[in-house]
Amino acid sequence: MASASPLEWRLQISGIILILGLLVEGLCLLGRGPIAFILFVGLGGFLFVVGILLYLYSLVSAKGEPSKE
Amino acid sequence: MPTFLILLLVAFSIFLIGVFVFRPQVTATRGGKMTAFLALFALPILCFGMGASSELEHAKSTKFCLSCHIMEPYGKSLRVDDPQHLAAAHFQNHRVPADEACYTCHTNYAMFGGIKAKLGGLRHIYVYYFGTPPAPENIKLYEPYNNRECLHCHAGARSFEEGAVHTADPDLLPALKANKTSCISSGCHGVVHDVGKLKDATFWKGGG
Repeated sequence: MASASPLEWRLQISGIILILGLLVEGLCLLGRGPIAFILFVGLGGFLFVVGILLYLYSLVSAKGEPSKE
Repeated sequence: MPTFLILLLVAFSIFLIGVFVFRPQVTATRGGKMTAFLALFALPILCFGMGASSELEHAKSTKFCLSCHIMEPYGKSLRVDDPQHLAAAHFQNHRVPADEACYTCHTNYAMFGGIKAKLGGLRHIYVYYFGTPPAPENIKLYEPYNNRECLHCHAGARSFEEGAVHTADPDLLPALKANKTSCISSGCHGVVHDVGKLKDATFWKGGG
C-alpha cells in the first residue's frame, strides 16, 4: 500500500479521508437523529472538503511529473 | 431518493476509492486518471449532495423535531382536545401536513428559509448539549413569530379574507398582512402551544 511517489501518497491520503467521510455519511444515514445530522454536517462535511481539496492539490502539485503512459 | 440507494452509492464509492488507496499506481494511465477523478471528486460530491438532501428532508419530519426530550411537551400540545389551541387545531385537522407539522409553521417562507430554519436547529442542539436548556414552558422563539408564515397558506383564503372578526375592523386585515398586528396576539389566536398548562388538558387519541 505504501507509495514512493508524492502524488500517489497524496492520492492515498485523500482516498482514506474520503472513505472516512463516506463511512460517517453511511452511519449518519442509518442513524437518523439530531446527533446524526450534526455529525453528517460537521464531521462528514469536513472530511469531504479536506479529502477533495487534497485530491485537487495533488493534481496541481503533480503538474510537472511525467506520465508513465 | 430512497436511503438504501444512497447507501449503495456510498458503498460503491468506498470500493472505488479503495482501489486507488491500495493501488495508486493505476492513476499512471489516462483511464486511471479519469476514474480517479470520478472516484475522488465527482462521486464524493454526488454522495454528499444526495446525503445532505436526504438528511435535510428527514430533518423536516415531526418525529425528528420531537426526538429531543425537551420537545416532548410541544408534541403533546399537538394533541390537546381544544380547538382554541392553534397548533393542535392545525395538526389534528391536517391544516398542516401531520408528518411535517413543526417545520411547516416554524420555517421561514422567505428565500433560504429552510436553510435558516435548519441553522436555527443546529443552535438548538448546541444549547441542548453544551448550554443550559430552558424548561420547555420557557422556550422562546429567536424572533417574534412573523405573520408571513401564516399568510403563506391563509392569504387569499375566504375564511381569512372574509372572516367576521377579520373584517369587523377595516384596519385589521392590512395590519395583519403588514405584520403590524400579530395573528397570535392575545385575544386573537393567542393560545398556541401553551405547554405550561398541559397537565390540566385532555388529549385527542386519534390520528395514529
